[in-house]
Amino acid sequence: MSITFEQVTKRYNAGPVVNDVSLRIGPGEFFVLLGPSGSGKSTLLRLAAGLTEVHHGRISLHGRDVTHVRARDRGVGLVFQHYALFRHMTVGQNVEFALRVRGVRRSARARRREELLQLVALEGYGNRMPDQLSGGQQQRVAVARALAHEPQVLLLDEPFGALDAKIRVELRETIREVQRRLGMTTILVTHDQEEAFSLADRIGIMHNGRLLETGRPESLYRHPATRFVATFLGAANLFLGERGPSGLRLGKRFIASGTSLRAVKGDPSGDHEVVTVVRPEDIEVSEHDEQLDSGALGAGQVLSVDFNGASERLRVQLEPEWDVTSAIGREHRAVGGTAPTGEQQIVDITRTSAEQARLALKPGLRVALGIRRFHLLPTPIASFRLLATAPATVAALRSSPLLRQLVESMQAPVLDAQDAPTGSEREGIQAGVGVIAAGSHSIGEIARAAAQGRRWLLCIPPRAALPARILIQCDYEAARSSTLRLVASVMRHLSAEATFVSLQSPAAPRAEATSAFRRLLDARAELQEIHGLDIRTDVHIGDPASWAAQLAVTAQPALVVLGVESTPSDLERILSSDFGALFSDVSTSVVLLSYTESQAQLAGVRLDTMSPLFPAQTPQGAAAAAPAAVPVLPGTPA
Amino acid sequence: MAEAVQTWPTRVGGAASPRGPWTPAEGATRSERQFRVLPGFGLTLGYTLFYVSLIVLLPLSTAFVRSAELGPMQFWHVVTAPRVLASLRLSFGASLLAALINAVFGFIIAWALARSRFPGRRIFDAMIDLPFALPTAVAGIALTALYAPNGWIGELLAPLGIHVAFTPLGVVVALAFVSLPFIVRTLQPVLGDLDLEVELAAQSLGASRLQTLLWVVLPTIWPALLTGVALGFSRAVGEYGSVIFIAGNIPKVSEIAPLMIMTKLEQYQYGQATAIAVVMLLASFGLMFGINGLQLWAQARTRGRRG
Repeated sequence: MSITFEQVTKRYNAGPVVNDVSLRIGPGEFFVLLGPSGSGKSTLLRLAAGLTEVHHGRISLHGRDVTHVRARDRGVGLVFQHYALFRHMTVGQNVEFALRVRGVRRSARARRREELLQLVALEGYGNRMPDQLSGGQQQRVAVARALAHEPQVLLLDEPFGALDAKIRVELRETIREVQRRLGMTTILVTHDQEEAFSLADRIGIMHNGRLLETGRPESLYRHPATRFVATFLGAANLFLGERGPSGLRLGKRFIASGTSLRAVKGDPSGDHEVVTVVRPEDIEVSEHDEQLDSGALGAGQVLSVDFNGASERLRVQLEPEWDVTSAIGREHRAVGGTAPTGEQQIVDITRTSAEQARLALKPGLRVALGIRRFHLLPTPIASFRLLATAPATVAALRSSPLLRQLVESMQAPVLDAQDAPTGSEREGIQAGVGVIAAGSHSIGEIARAAAQGRRWLLCIPPRAALPARILIQCDYEAARSSTLRLVASVMRHLSAEATFVSLQSPAAPRAEATSAFRRLLDARAELQEIHGLDIRTDVHIGDPASWAAQLAVTAQPALVVLGVESTPSDLERILSSDFGALFSDVSTSVVLLSYTESQAQLAGVRLDTMSPLFPAQTPQGAAAAAPAAVPVLPGTPA
Repeated sequence: MAEAVQTWPTRVGGAASPRGPWTPAEGATRSERQFRVLPGFGLTLGYTLFYVSLIVLLPLSTAFVRSAELGPMQFWHVVTAPRVLASLRLSFGASLLAALINAVFGFIIAWALARSRFPGRRIFDAMIDLPFALPTAVAGIALTALYAPNGWIGELLAPLGIHVAFTPLGVVVALAFVSLPFIVRTLQPVLGDLDLEVELAAQSLGASRLQTLLWVVLPTIWPALLTGVALGFSRAVGEYGSVIFIAGNIPKVSEIAPLMIMTKLEQYQYGQATAIAVVMLLASFGLMFGINGLQLWAQARTRGRRG
C-alpha cells in the first residue's frame, strides 16, 4: 500500500474534525476525497502531508511510518487551491525550489526544470513571474513544482477551486495525464462530484469528519450505503419501503419480487422498513400505466420541466393516493409539502433526448411513473417514530440535541404517534427506530414496544446533551450483527468517537476474559469488513450496573448502544438490573437499544451464566444457579 | 478602478466640464462618466498643493532662506566645525543603528503579534504604541533612571564595564525606544496578510525553517521592512526629548545634532542653527530617496519584469 491511514483522529477544540479514519490507497491509485466543506477532507490531506499533527492513529507512506515525521522529510508533493506560488521568484525558480533546498547543482536543476515545464506544457515560461500567468497556468506551475523532488505521493487540495469552468476541465485532463504517465499515487480533495467521477480510480466520501464510504465511482453511485452518499453523489429519490415475504413494496403499487432483492449488498434479513434509492434517470415516464415497461409506482402531475442541454429534468408530484412516503425528513426537502400530514411526494426525473422525443411533456400534464432500477440502503434507521403521546414530551424529544443532530445529518423523517401510519405499520410491521423519553416507566415502555416487534429503540433523557462519544456494549453473539448495523449507521452520522466496550467482572474466570477479548476483536473486524468503519475497543473491569451508573452522571455525555438478545419478558429484567441508571430521567447519557428476540432456552442459558459473574446484582433466584458453559462458542459465525 | 456604476448618456462633442460629482474617469471614453464620492480632481489637487505648501514646504524653505544669510564660506565653516560634524555623525549613525536593531526585533515582535494568539496579546499590542503616545521627555527620564550607573540596569552593567547612560550607546537605546512602533506597525499588516500556505508549500518541498524564512518570507516582506526602517530611521533622526536626558550631551561624544541646533538657537545664532538644520534636511532627504529607490527595486522584482 502506498498510503495507509489507521484510525487517524484529529481534533480542534475538543471536537474531532477527522474521526477514526482508516484508509488504504494502493500504488499508482488516483484517490479522490469528496465531501462538503467542513467535512474534514482537507484536514485529512494535511495530516498526510504532515502539515498538522495527528492526535491518534498512524499514517504510513510506502510502508514507512511517517506519523511523526516532519512535513519536509515526508517526500510528498502538495498542491494548494490558491497555488501558493512564491511570487518573488520566476516560474523556473519556483519549479526548482525543492531541488535548490536540497543543494542540487545548477545544471541538474535546469535539466529537471525544463523536463517538468514540458510535462505541464509550459515550455518557455521559465523566466516569467507567476503574476504574469493565468490561473490555470499558475496551477500547472504549482503541479510541476510539487513534482520536482520526485515525491512518492502527490496530494492535491482542491486544485481547481479557484479556476473557471473551461480551464478547470483542461487542467483536470493535464493532471490526469501527468498522474498516469508518472504512475504516481495521488490523493485529490474536492467538493465537486463531477470532478471526482472524471478523475478517480476510487472515491472516498467524507462527512462530519468520518470517511463514510469508499469505492469505485460507479459502485458508489449505484450502491450507496447512506442517504448522505445517495444524495451527495448525484440526485436521488429516496422512498420509505417495506420488505416483507413478497419482496419490496413502495406505497400501494410498486412491488419487486424477492429474487430481484437477493442481489442487494448488505441485505438485512427480516421484514422491516427500508430506504429505497431511485436515481432520476431510472424512472420511466409514460402517459398511461399500461405503456410502462417497468414496475409502476403511481401517477402524478408534472410540476416543472427544465431543459439542460443533453437531458431534461422533470419534477413530478405524486398523487397522495399512491401512498408513497419520502425517506427524507420533511425539513430537509428542497420544497416542503404544503399539506400538513398528507405527504406531497415530489419525484425528480431526468430524461434523455430520445425519451423526450417519444413523449413531449409540459407542466400540468398527468403522467404515470415506473421504476426501472432501485437500490436499498443497508441502514436499519429508515425513520424515527416518536412513541410518546403527551405534546410536551413530543416537543422535548423533537428538540433533543441528539435527535436533531441525527435527523439533520441522516435527513431521516421523524414521525409522531399521531401521524398517519405508514403502509408497513398498517400491516403490523413496526417501522423505524422508536423514540421514547427516559423516566421511571421507560423500561416498561421499551419492553412493551419490544413485545410488539420493535427492534430499535432510542431512549432520550430530558436533559441529555449531544453525546461526545459512542459506547457500544453487546455481549450477545446473536445480537451483534444487528447491533453493529445500527452502530454503523449512527457512527456515520455523528461526529463522536465510537468505542466498543466489554464489561468484565473482576471475579470472572480466565475463559470468560478471553472470550470477551475475542468478542471485541470480532466486533471490530465485522464493522471493518462489512461496514468499512473503524472503532476503538475498551475493556471495563466492573459490573454493568456500576458502569451504567457512572455513565448516567458523567460530564462527558455518551450515546450508549446496547445490543441485547432476550425474550420480551426478560428484557425488562435485564435492562433494570444491569443498566437501570441509564434509563432514569436525570441521566446525561442517551441509550440506543438494539433488541434481538431470542429463542427462549438460549436466553435462559445466557442469564444463568451472567449470574455468578455479578452476584450482587442478580435476582435471588438466579444467584443459586450453577455456572454453565459460556454460550459463546469458538468459531460461531456472525 | 471598479467604480463603473452608472454611465452617462452619450453627448457627441459635449464638453466634459467637471461640475458636481460627475467627472470623466481616467482612461474612460468621452461618452461615459463615473460617479465619485469625492469632489472633482481640480479642487482636490488644489487643496493638496495648498496644504502641503503651508504645512511642509513653507517652513522648510524658510530654513533655506535663513541659512542663506550666512554666505557660502561661513555656511561651510559652521557645518564642518568638529563639534557639529561629530553631532551629525552621532545623530545619523545612532539612528541608523537603532533602526537596524529594530528591523530585527521589530520583525520578531510583529511576527508574534500577527501570527500567534497568546493571553494578553491585545495589551501587548497596545503597548507597542506607547512610545508614540508618551511625551518623549518622560521616556528620557525613565531610561536615564534605568541605565544610569546607579539605576536598575546600569548597576548590573557597570561591573562589566558597559556604560549606557551618558554615552553614544545610551543615544542608541533611546532612539531604539522611539522608533520601535514605526517598524512594528508597518510590518504587522503585511505579515498578517502573508499567505500561510506559501510557507506550508515551502515546507512540503523540503525547505528548513531557516530556508523558508530567508528564501520565502523575507523576500516577500522586504519592501514593507524597508519602509518600516525608513520611517523608524527618520523618526530617530528628529528625536530630541528622550535623548538629551540619557545622552549627557558631552560635546563631540554624546551630543546629537538637534541639540546642536537648540544650543545655537539659545545663543541667538539663528543663521548657524538653520545651517545645521539644512544639512540634516538634505541628508535625511538623500537617505529617504535611497531607501525608496531600494523599495521600488524590490517591488519591481516581485511584480515581474514586464517588457
